[in-house]
Amino acid sequence: MPILEITKLTKSFGALEVLKGVSLNVEEGEVVAVIGTSGSGKSTLLRCINRLESPTGGRVVFEGSEVTAQSVNRVRREVGMVFQRFNLFPHLTALQNVTLAPLKVVGTDREQANRDGMVFLEQVQLAAKAHNYPGELSGGQQQRVAIARALALRPKLLLFDEPTSALDPELVGEVLAVLRQLAKEGRTMIIATHEMGFAREVAHRVIFLDEGVICEEGHPEQVFTQPREERTRAFLARVLNR
Amino acid sequence: MFGRSLRKLKSCPLLLLLVFSLLCSLSTARAQDRLDTIRQRGELIIATDATYPPFEFREKEQILGFDVEIGNEIGRELGVKVRWLNLEWSGVLGSLESGKCDLVMAGVTITEERKKKGYLFSRPYFLSGQTIARRKGDTRIQKGSDLKGYRVSVQMQTTGQFAAERMGVPKDRLSKFDVLQDGLMDVRNGKSDALVADLPALKEILRKNFSELELIGGLITEENVGIVAWRSSITLMSGVNHALEKIIVDGRYAAIYNKWIGERLTTRVIGGLDKARKAGSDVPEWLNSAGKTTPESGTKMAPPSASALSIRWDVIREALPAMGHGAKVTLKITFLTLLFGIPGGLLVALGRISRFPFLRWIMVAYIEVVRGTPLLMQIYVIYFVLPALKIDFQPEAAGVLALSLNAAAYIAEIFRAGIESIDTGQMEAARSLGMDYLGGMRWVVLPQTFRRVLPPLTNEAIALLKDSSLVSVVAVAELMREGKEIATNSGSATTVYLAIAAIYLMLTLPLTYLARQLEIRWQPISQPRRRSLWSRKGA
Repeated sequence: MPILEITKLTKSFGALEVLKGVSLNVEEGEVVAVIGTSGSGKSTLLRCINRLESPTGGRVVFEGSEVTAQSVNRVRREVGMVFQRFNLFPHLTALQNVTLAPLKVVGTDREQANRDGMVFLEQVQLAAKAHNYPGELSGGQQQRVAIARALALRPKLLLFDEPTSALDPELVGEVLAVLRQLAKEGRTMIIATHEMGFAREVAHRVIFLDEGVICEEGHPEQVFTQPREERTRAFLARVLNR
Repeated sequence: MFGRSLRKLKSCPLLLLLVFSLLCSLSTARAQDRLDTIRQRGELIIATDATYPPFEFREKEQILGFDVEIGNEIGRELGVKVRWLNLEWSGVLGSLESGKCDLVMAGVTITEERKKKGYLFSRPYFLSGQTIARRKGDTRIQKGSDLKGYRVSVQMQTTGQFAAERMGVPKDRLSKFDVLQDGLMDVRNGKSDALVADLPALKEILRKNFSELELIGGLITEENVGIVAWRSSITLMSGVNHALEKIIVDGRYAAIYNKWIGERLTTRVIGGLDKARKAGSDVPEWLNSAGKTTPESGTKMAPPSASALSIRWDVIREALPAMGHGAKVTLKITFLTLLFGIPGGLLVALGRISRFPFLRWIMVAYIEVVRGTPLLMQIYVIYFVLPALKIDFQPEAAGVLALSLNAAAYIAEIFRAGIESIDTGQMEAARSLGMDYLGGMRWVVLPQTFRRVLPPLTNEAIALLKDSSLVSVVAVAELMREGKEIATNSGSATTVYLAIAAIYLMLTLPLTYLARQLEIRWQPISQPRRRSLWSRKGA
């Protein structure tokens, strides 16, 4: 059974229909890369999964039960999210950012939470910055803290919403390295990204989203080297600058 | 450096001469008699407090009454026009000292204390006395000595207050109001049991507006009402005395008396007035008769005139305990108001941005009503109007309640602006971690909001500390009220008000400092190099 089943998902903002019926299944341990132009609906698709946006129509089923307004807080503890703009809590240190949810949502005791938090920071190679505030960290470091924060609830699914788009080019590498490591550990991830090389290297499956529908999906090699759809070809030609 | 600049001055005799001549002209202006100044300007300025019928009151933009007509006649005798200056009672006598007026006519009782403070009195022009107003049929209070068991209202720093104090009413049972009518309202609402004031004024006000109250029969003290001038105005006062005599003798006084006091002027009253003549200040006889010879030792009877800008340390020393008490009350009221107002404001702000339209609507209405009406009015309503609905507060509680309700509305808008200035991504991140709306607010949005609103909140707290002076209208003895009270009869209002201003500054500066420390402590991001002692870094 897939861990996530999305069926005929639609989402409109007023008269603007952003998602026009998206269906997608994700298996446990799978890494799915979502590509497409800005405004194609990548972010909206991710945000509908944990209901930061409530869908207009269709169903999202996580671990066999439907994600509704009532069940969403439970689902969110199992689905981690990393944002384009990090959204770290600026009044808390890196470690406090990581331990906030375990302390306040799960109810872990402080000592345990701090110990775990240091492990997660270790994992993103930032244990040394545990007591620094976000304002004292570089963009790449901030995004790595944000990843550690998302890991802290030991989620079964991780959503990455263009995690490197807000970074200076020289800082992209360190964040991708962490993502690569997570993929290697066998985590289930959905990554909306503009990093085509990374998607091709890490993803098990690539989804090309265009104008609110899935235009093409398949193995990265196939999608990137022999796209079936004309629109996919045109998009790839544009972004790969050929 | 100072020495050098002095030498420079010396080398500039022209400048020195200029300064010297300026000083001389100033001092001659002081020495010149007030009466000459008045004649030169063709106008006699008389200060009053027009809330005191039948002596003086306002009707259709005009000040009318017994004092007003007598004063106008005096002006006619002196050959000048009279301009009336209408002030709050607490400022009336002080305006003599600062030179804003020449005379005061406000039904002022001649007392030795006031004379000692430097006020000069005319011969008495009215015989009066204090009496007691009570609720109709409340026979517990029959005479002056009954007062000490009850809560008593007075107009502050009037002979009514002094009489009540002499009758043994303790300080904490005595409610002092700026305006006599507010004190009567207090009696009518049952918060005070009696009010002490001048018989003619009380009689008139009760007849017009307070049918629920009545006077005890008779007087508890007998008093002489006089016209007041500052101590240096001796020739002016002798002119006033002459004018009064003439008005009394030629029948103008009788006409005015009959018109305003509502009784016929009898020879007995005139006899009483003549007998009490000595009650006024001792204006030398040679001035009363001869008029214009220059005195050699005319200042013997009064200390030399203080200028309006000299600080009287003796006055401050004497007033210090009362001002200290006032400062304590002001701090207490401010503290309590912040204690209720800040959480209250936060709740209102959360309601104001909530998902429920009904709640939003209520909060908007609350904020608009409170912001759109004067704070003074809110205090009045809570203290004087709510008792009609059987909701009753003691003065301090009413003051704190009004201030808290008021502050909450302003603080709510500060919080709303603060919350809305926090990036929406913060709430999204919190919710993506499984927190509900309240959790996200509590742990993520509000901590950041507090840091951001600290400067405007400090503003509000300081404004509040000063606005708390408004609760003095319901007889709370806070700092401004104590100051006014002391200033009314002190003989140096300037000194008192400057001292009060200094105390307010001493109260607000630590508040500013504390807020600044908190700000530094709470801003670990934008000011990494300005950590305070309490910083948690390196923990």
